[in-house]
Amino acid sequence: MIKLFNVYKSYCAGHPILKDINLHIKPGEFVSVVGQSGSGKTTLVKLLIGEERVDKGKVVIGGWDITRLSRREVPDLRRQIGVIFQDFKLLPKKTLFENVAFALEVCGQSGKRIKAIVPHVMKIVGLEDKANRYPHEVSGGEKQRVAIARALVHSPKVLLADEPTGNLDAINAGEITDLLLHINKFGTTVILVSHNKEIVNRLNRRVITIDNGAIVSDRENGKYLL
Amino acid sequence: MFFLSFLRIVKFGLQDISRNIWLSVVTVIILILALFSINMLLVVKVVGEAAIGAVKSKIDVSLYVKPEAPEKEILALKAELSNISSVKSVRYISQEEALEIFKKTKSNNPEVLTALRELDKNPLSPTLVITPKSSDNMEILTHELNKIESSIIDSRDFSNYKIMLDRINAVTDRVTQAGLILAGILIFITLMVIFNSVRVAIYTHNAEISIMRLVGASNSFIYMPFLLSGLVYSFVGVMAIVLFFYPFLSLLQPYLEAFFVGYNVNIVNYFNEHFFIIFGLEFLGIALVNILASYFAARKYAQV
Repeated sequence: MIKLFNVYKSYCAGHPILKDINLHIKPGEFVSVVGQSGSGKTTLVKLLIGEERVDKGKVVIGGWDITRLSRREVPDLRRQIGVIFQDFKLLPKKTLFENVAFALEVCGQSGKRIKAIVPHVMKIVGLEDKANRYPHEVSGGEKQRVAIARALVHSPKVLLADEPTGNLDAINAGEITDLLLHINKFGTTVILVSHNKEIVNRLNRRVITIDNGAIVSDRENGKYLL
Repeated sequence: MFFLSFLRIVKFGLQDISRNIWLSVVTVIILILALFSINMLLVVKVVGEAAIGAVKSKIDVSLYVKPEAPEKEILALKAELSNISSVKSVRYISQEEALEIFKKTKSNNPEVLTALRELDKNPLSPTLVITPKSSDNMEILTHELNKIESSIIDSRDFSNYKIMLDRINAVTDRVTQAGLILAGILIFITLMVIFNSVRVAIYTHNAEISIMRLVGASNSFIYMPFLLSGLVYSFVGVMAIVLFFYPFLSLLQPYLEAFFVGYNVNIVNYFNEHFFIIFGLEFLGIALVNILASYFAARKYAQV
């Protein structure tokens, strides 16, 4: 599903943020990527969504080599990967329904299909009764649920979650993690980037530990080591 | 597919305007103020041209006729002059009339009037005052006047008129040049104000733009609603300035009429006659600036 071969990335010469990363994530896996702040986790996410380019190495997603992705191809890549962020990244002037629908509208989906899919996805994340509210009218946990709904709405093969529980309390964080597990059950590959030890340990799934830009541990049913 | 995308872009653009209503209102107000400055500049230009025209229309040349010339011959000469293509009108001032005018103009100068009384006869010559159709044709007119062969003409020295006209033309040319430079600077400042206002308005959307990019929106989906908003702002701004500026012109008109007594200076008529060219060009100008500013600003924040 996702393959990284000898990937190097640096923002300033001589100080690589990622060093010789080799990674293979299989379809349907639930993988946690852990590491301290500044270890290179978010840079890894940026490489996977085409926000940054590798300096050296190769990145392949679903057989598509995105190493030298052109600007024009970036939207196509992002329509195939669902991404959720710590700060939710919802459009503040659109309702929750419109935020989710937007991901389909940019793909050129018909209005009829959008009206059929979006309520269904809103139901999965438990927000069907708040669809007409604006992001500032709901809680942090609910915002993150909307972000998950938006990421899921075009049925991506991969869901990338970059610190999705970072701004949430323990209860909401647990609920979001359960939701990610639920999504994974349907066959979506989930990559959870987190430094939340309790959540990662509770998941009891594959854990990749990055330290100082390098993978220092990659274990099935792993634990948060750092 | 294209039609669906177009409809969505229109929807997003209108949604952006309505859901950011205060930002939209502020943007339109800035456009209205900018357009008001541009139209004021136009009013100044029109009034300035009217003033220059008024000064130039005062320019005429006089042909002095021998005092002993019979009136019949003078009137024949007047008719001949009136037939010259560059002549607008010819006025005959008889010896007596010339004396009356002279006395009137020198009424505050008793010494001159006393000297005049001491003379036995009227020292002034009959005059033919020739008004040209255009002060620009002065050169041609004097050439034509010099060609006329008539034994009753006493004097036809036009060198003074040429000097005076050259001076007036030099002054008006300088005023026109300065006006153009000033107008250019003001229009540039106005366009910069519009350009930067739009950029600031889009800056407030920078997070939204990057989010759109992150969920896979193409460039057209990101830029086009902003470009459309820019077009709508431009249209609303121009419509608003039409509504505001005409009452302002109507208020201004009586003052202009009072100032240019005897001259037909009608600023409302000018705007009526040039309505589509003035407001059409203003719309095109600010729409272009709006679109460029929107494009550059949106592009900057879409580099995610």
